[in-house]
Amino acid sequence: MSVVERRQPLAEQVTLLDLVDRVLNKGVVVTGDITLSVADVDLVYVGLRLLLASAATLEREAAR
Amino acid sequence: MIDAAARTAWYVYGVAEDEAAIARLDGVELIRDGRLTAVVREVSLDEYDEAVLPERLNDRDWLERNARAHEDVLQSAAAVTTIVPLRFGAIYRSREQVGQMLDERSDEFLSTLERVRGHVELGVKVWADVQMLERALAAAEEPSAGGAGAAYLQRRRQEQERARELAVLCAQVAEDAHARLSGVASAAVANRPQPRELTGRSEPMLLNGAYLVRDGDDGLRREVERLATEHAARGLEYELTGPWPPHNFAGEPQ
Repeated sequence: MSVVERRQPLAEQVTLLDLVDRVLNKGVVVTGDITLSVADVDLVYVGLRLLLASAATLEREAAR
Repeated sequence: MIDAAARTAWYVYGVAEDEAAIARLDGVELIRDGRLTAVVREVSLDEYDEAVLPERLNDRDWLERNARAHEDVLQSAAAVTTIVPLRFGAIYRSREQVGQMLDERSDEFLSTLERVRGHVELGVKVWADVQMLERALAAAEEPSAGGAGAAYLQRRRQEQERARELAVLCAQVAEDAHARLSGVASAAVANRPQPRELTGRSEPMLLNGAYLVRDGDDGLRREVERLATEHAARGLEYELTGPWPPHNFAGEPQ
């Protein structure tokens, strides 16, 4: 049977992606004095994507 | 030293009702207003000022450290009481402003606390082995008859048809699984599946669901096991995460 189970709070089992999915994309949005707007949060996703893309590029370059 | 004092602010993690339960949490402070208590930490504006935040968010190590810290505080609080998670990065320049926010949003916080009380959030992802799904579809097709030219055309048609069927099948799997899991949950939400370039897996994610279930209730876990058994031959893998604080159920009811 293919159920993969990952239980918290073993922090290292929570991927950064799952964290971003919840901690940055969900939860109650309040208007703080400094608050990430929804647009900023999308930027986080984009930022993460760029980071991963650049890491992959670096790995490819290192492998040459 | 006035400058140094002005360089800190209050980062709010979440809002709870039972102040006594969270009074012993390490490394955080509490700000109370009426029936509500905010779980906060004093942070340096060198870390969280608007001017530096966008840059910080694109620093993977910083992001990971602080997102985990946010989650850790919420999990510690959730272990002892019901807490409504706030989204990452809610920062106030004074304790009074935190109290004012609690006051202004108190009806909403109280009704959310009521809704999630005694519940946890579980995450379920479904991954597809596309080759296995394609084989299952191909096995169901009629063998081609007629000459070579007709066979070629039929094969082309079948390939196009199969790609279309595959897309339909994937959408249906996600929809069916989500419907069955929703049936054993108090509330449910199907989030956008995480893209392949971020998961780093070759299999596409079909479902990225979150389910609010009673703490200690095994129904959803059992339903996931049933689905996984039924779908194993089609190359579908189920992944269960949690329990999480109710991040996905902290906003307006869906």
